[in-house]
Amino acid sequence: MTAPLSLSGLDLPRRNGELAFDAPWQSTVFALAAAVIEHAFGGDREPFRQQLITAIAAEPGRPYWESWTAALEALVPTLPERSTP
Amino acid sequence: MSDSTHRPAPVSPVEQRVAALEALLTERGLVPEGFIEQVTRRYESETGPMNGAKVVARAWLDPQYKQRLLADGTAAIAELGFGGPEGDHMVVVENTAAVHNVIVCTLCSCYPWPVLGLPPAWYKDPPYRARMVREPRALLAEMGCPLPEEAEIRVWDSSAEVRYLVLPQRPAATEDMTEAELAALVTRDSMIGVARL
Repeated sequence: MTAPLSLSGLDLPRRNGELAFDAPWQSTVFALAAAVIEHAFGGDREPFRQQLITAIAAEPGRPYWESWTAALEALVPTLPERSTP
Repeated sequence: MSDSTHRPAPVSPVEQRVAALEALLTERGLVPEGFIEQVTRRYESETGPMNGAKVVARAWLDPQYKQRLLADGTAAIAELGFGGPEGDHMVVVENTAAVHNVIVCTLCSCYPWPVLGLPPAWYKDPPYRARMVREPRALLAEMGCPLPEEAEIRVWDSSAEVRYLVLPQRPAATEDMTEAELAALVTRDSMIGVARL
């Protein structure tokens, strides 16, 4: 697995444990949810949070970022029709 | 389509799903140029427990700041320049010799991002989320944080709105330390409440 380019610095918050992401797709899907929250829901985190709760409850043993992906997939059909940043 | 980026071709099914989401959401105009890189950089290197450590060290040194912090966490944390998503309604809970606080999110992974960054893997896992509510004393002991029988444990379940931060007790023999030296003592786990300093 290739490390994301931004992991090359020494300023990462490692001292207190692990890094936030194990693979580039995890940071991508994290940021995609942030984009949807910010640009489609005007900063309201609750619609995504509800999907995340549902996704985690559906498969409690599933790796976290896969549940996050499932939550975002479930949120997409509920997005407002047209949105321009 | 999604090929305007220089990321390697997706290999696993979940990577393919994420690539499809990225393509779809970009086409919908929801992902501005550079947005993913910007968010990633923010949570990989600019936001993390070092922020919360500064808040704790300031509270240890400045009684008036501590008072403001416990009265209105969001505002006092913003004084040090920290805020943003998942930090809109911050409540700071103070550990004492008699009371130990610990935070959890039973339903998902709510966590005070501006002061602690993104949560560690175990915080998001089912055993922690379930057991910290059911048997906090046993779980804390297993995590290396045994508490005296007489200590009261308060478990704070992060809700849709509120995010909690634990203000750990200041260690003994730190009277001569500077704010920066004190901040270096503060660990992430102590601000979640699964460790004492």
